[in-house]
Amino acid sequence: MNQFLFGLVLLIGLMLPPVARLMESVMIIHMHMQMPMLVIAGFFMAHLFLQRYPQFFNKYNQNGVPGILLFTIIMAYWLLPRTMDEALTIETVEIFKFVSLPFLAGVPLRDSWRRLSKTWKNNVITLFTVVFLGMGWLYIQSNDQLCNNYLVIDQVILGWGFITMAICMVIYLIYIFAVDPSQYE
Amino acid sequence: MQPALKTTSIKQKTTQVLGISLEDARISKSYLSVAFIALLLGGLLGLLQGLNRAGVLQLPPWLNYYQVLTAHGILLVVVLSAFFTIGYFYAGLSHTLGGLLPKVRKMAWIGFWMKIFGFVLVVIPILRNEASVMYTFYPPMAASPMFYFGLVFIVLGVWMLSFGAFTQVANWRRNHKGEHLPILAFFATGVFVLLVGATAFVAVEVIFMIIPWTLGWVDGINVLLARTLFWAFGHTAVNIWYLTAVSAWYVVVPKIIGGTRWNDLLTRMVVIPLVIMNITGGFHHQIIDPGISESIKYMHVFMSLAIGFPSLMTAYAMFRVFERTARAKGGKGLVGWYKKMPWGDVRFLAPFIAMVAFIPAGAGGIVQSTNQLDQVVHNTMWVVGHFHLTLGMSVVMTFFGISYWLVPYLSKRVLTPAMNRLGVIQTVIWTIGMVIMAISMHIVGLFGSPRRTSFTTYGDFAEKLGWNPYMALVGIGATLLLLAVILQVYAVFNLMFFAPKGTTEFPIAEEEAGAEKTPYWTERWGIWVVLMLLVVSMAYVLPIVDMILNAPPGSPPFKTW
Ligand code: HEM
Ligand SMILES: [Cu+2]
Repeated sequence: MNQFLFGLVLLIGLMLPPVARLMESVMIIHMHMQMPMLVIAGFFMAHLFLQRYPQFFNKYNQNGVPGILLFTIIMAYWLLPRTMDEALTIETVEIFKFVSLPFLAGVPLRDSWRRLSKTWKNNVITLFTVVFLGMGWLYIQSNDQLCNNYLVIDQVILGWGFITMAICMVIYLIYIFAVDPSQYE
Repeated sequence: MQPALKTTSIKQKTTQVLGISLEDARISKSYLSVAFIALLLGGLLGLLQGLNRAGVLQLPPWLNYYQVLTAHGILLVVVLSAFFTIGYFYAGLSHTLGGLLPKVRKMAWIGFWMKIFGFVLVVIPILRNEASVMYTFYPPMAASPMFYFGLVFIVLGVWMLSFGAFTQVANWRRNHKGEHLPILAFFATGVFVLLVGATAFVAVEVIFMIIPWTLGWVDGINVLLARTLFWAFGHTAVNIWYLTAVSAWYVVVPKIIGGTRWNDLLTRMVVIPLVIMNITGGFHHQIIDPGISESIKYMHVFMSLAIGFPSLMTAYAMFRVFERTARAKGGKGLVGWYKKMPWGDVRFLAPFIAMVAFIPAGAGGIVQSTNQLDQVVHNTMWVVGHFHLTLGMSVVMTFFGISYWLVPYLSKRVLTPAMNRLGVIQTVIWTIGMVIMAISMHIVGLFGSPRRTSFTTYGDFAEKLGWNPYMALVGIGATLLLLAVILQVYAVFNLMFFAPKGTTEFPIAEEEAGAEKTPYWTERWGIWVVLMLLVVSMAYVLPIVDMILNAPPGSPPFKTW
């Protein structure tokens, strides 16, 4: 319950118009802080859903793959410049953002992550690493303004944000492959 | 792996019974000797500064105020603190992890000589007045290139020592599968992780920006970027010294007062967020810098205050330990239990005063993190008062308190009652001196007296003359402080070479009886490091890309002195 409340308060906090406006005023904060925090809010709220409806999750997300697929699709959708732009101009898209990221990405992520095998987990991280490198490249080298609402410099900054995140994930993957936990635990 | 496990635990027992091996002791003694010699020199220079600013001492042309100030800053905030931290944690690793491995010892020595060599390179240009750039060496002020090469060697030395510590820890964990790292070694791991993270920034600044620029390979330097990289380092460095002091508060002080440690899980939960969130705090040193947008500064205030949380937790934890211990000894009443504390024991008194000093010091820090308030105090003597409370009291007095048991432990001697008394006197003089100096610095800073400014009457301008009484107090404080420095350095070398032989214990408090077992996830240092990198990249990508792409033309080097 505590976890659910924490997630809910976080979600409401992020939806408050002044907070949302501040975060959305900077492209990289919009994509790399607001959106992940929405997913995290859903991740915490998932605690309650998993307790209440275990049969639902057992039935539709037995091995975790459907959940992670849903998560990936939602994340991929919000990686597009166009969708970010629309979130700022079309109200329903903004609402869809505040619903989809916590409930269609955060919740399935939590349920799937405990079900997925190690290989699957590493593959998902590798997939996102590659996608982030690609997105970083796209945003850095594009000379055209991709969003109506953000400047080219914002795009370049976001691009470097993708690259540094990808580097962090690479370091994590190296850590996973290089360090054998059975030697220490 | 069974036999290996046996041998190390036997080794661990022997070090705990017989005391530290001579080779390990020599490493820590060398580091501590350098630290306290730096204290002596730095304190002497501090006195010169204090007397100058009091208006009673005119410095000669061959040793000007800014030369002195550069050396004072570097000796105390880089040499004393780093050498003490390393000496203390290497002794701690040796004690709690069953003696240093031979290769780790070798790394410690290589690191030692790299640091000394680098330090010599730094000092020569300072003495020749070719590097009066203060310890922050902000471009576009440019020192002689030798100064920066010296810094590079100091950083390389730090990395050597950090990897030595990691090697030691990894080896211990391989031989103690599933066990928790002993708490002092846990603190040490956090400190060395942060040291690598912090120095990486300054290494980039010095190697890729400043050195090519002072050598004339490039024409200009990006001043704002250099400052940003510096403060990612400078801020974290200071927090590392603080974390070192905190480790003694959690681990050592409870043992000295005869109590038990505070909750193990929560102690580790103080270390982990301090490691993950520390580096980004550097931005609070740039609240007044132009070229960083308001919204970024605003978000960074959040990060700074986030580090305040573990500090508040520490204050709570310490008082809980004190009260519990005192009550167990029969202390009574709402506040009457304080009588049961060992006030006459310098090993307790010094760190206790250090903790108390952190209350006004932390409050001042919150003031400075607040944009509007910082406008008033930025670059005034207030700030100097602030960091003499945090460093000159909270950190350094804890180090002094540690020295009264660590040095005899290393030299296999004992702290005699007479030496303890000397320590108490030293602590009292230092406290009085620092309080006088820090309070007058804070006040005169509020009136606008700038820091880093040699004595001047501003053409006998009446308002500025009003600062002088406070500056006289700074001089008085400085005089008392030098007296305390001399006593402290005397005590350290007496305990190292002349005190009576005997065994001194390395005081590490036990967990409370019946404490819950700490979950294993606290040991996942790989995850903490990746999280630290993520937080750092989230915090720095925006401002740094902006600073690079929207940079004004670079600045040529200047020699302002
Ligand atoms: C013997 C005791 C000490 C005295 C009398 C003393 C005095 C002073 C004075 C008068 C200043 C110059 C203020 C200015 O003009 O801006 C100063 C600066 C400074 N002190 Fe101390 N101090 C002492 C101990 C320490 C300790 C123990 C530390 C740190 C561990 C420390 C760190 C610094 C730093 C970092 C600066 C700033 C240098 C700069 O602005 O570049 N001091 N001190
Ligand atoms: Cu700071």
